[in-house]
Amino acid sequence: MKSVVTTVVTAADAAGRMPSASDLESVQGSIQRASARLEAAEKLAAGFDAVVKEAGDACFSKYPYLKQAGEAGDNQGKVDKCYRDIGHYMRLINYCLVVGGTGPLDEWGIAGAREVYRTLNIPTAPYVAAFAQARDRGCSPRDMSPQALAEYNSLLSYVIESLS
Amino acid sequence: MLDAFSRAAVSADAKTACIGAGEIASLKQYIAKANTRLDAVNAITSNANCIVSDAVAGMICENTGLIQAGGNCYPNRRMAACLRDGEIILRYIAYALLAGDPSVLDDRCLNGLKETYIALGVPLTSQARAVAIMKASSLAHINETNTETQMAESNQMLQQRYNKMATVKGDCSMVSAEAASYFDRVISALG
Repeated sequence: MKSVVTTVVTAADAAGRMPSASDLESVQGSIQRASARLEAAEKLAAGFDAVVKEAGDACFSKYPYLKQAGEAGDNQGKVDKCYRDIGHYMRLINYCLVVGGTGPLDEWGIAGAREVYRTLNIPTAPYVAAFAQARDRGCSPRDMSPQALAEYNSLLSYVIESLS
Repeated sequence: MLDAFSRAAVSADAKTACIGAGEIASLKQYIAKANTRLDAVNAITSNANCIVSDAVAGMICENTGLIQAGGNCYPNRRMAACLRDGEIILRYIAYALLAGDPSVLDDRCLNGLKETYIALGVPLTSQARAVAIMKASSLAHINETNTETQMAESNQMLQQRYNKMATVKGDCSMVSAEAASYFDRVISALG
């Protein structure tokens, strides 16, 4: 799992040397931003269900055709799966905020997603609408501190980029 | 390879749950103690040669047969291999301590180590003894209870001669207990 610490250790191990002063410095640097990331992760976990519901509602209100017969959300089971997928992405964002890198999203969310969506004939634009809503909705200091919100929004943008 | 943070992500993913307030509280502990941890890693890496050579010398003092003809440290070539292995083990322990998670030690060092030593005819008890001495001296360096530091404290003149880490004294009990657990992990993997 890619994070600052594992990257540093992998590089040091490839060279067969002890962790150097600069390795320790880069770990220290990531630790300094960690409290904002953990705050965002904690707040996201606390309001998780509400965030997922609002994001899912946004995609069906922007693309109401999805609920017509023959479309990707034409029965309740499919609609529920859409909310579930948004929940998965949000959960991975929560992990990424904790880890301090995009490792969890890359390995468990994004790798292969495009192929899966194409095979199942699922449009990705509604997901983009959902995460764009989540990104626009976050507000500091109501939801979290400015730095925490910046970390959260950058991961939402990362997901949007991967689906666009 | 995992660190304390990605370990939390992997175990939360197994339950399909978010990382909640409980896990985050223990990670905040890691962050609060991060400087202590980095100082501890620095204490090991800065004294690695001393820690390794003392441990191998101690192991041989207790069992001089090792350097007599037929012993496992007998020609210099094999003695050098022993020192090199000590340093490799210490290096992976330093990585694990930096990451706050033993997975790098397990995956890259301990996996198959015992079998390799058995195949090469390396005596496991001697190797485990060397690791135990490395544990004692590493913990002394982390806590600054090593002989040099103590002597330097009582004698101003000696301060210039001995390598004293100029860190602020603080509570190192958690990080030194964690380091001790990694050394014990190596010893039990060899047992």
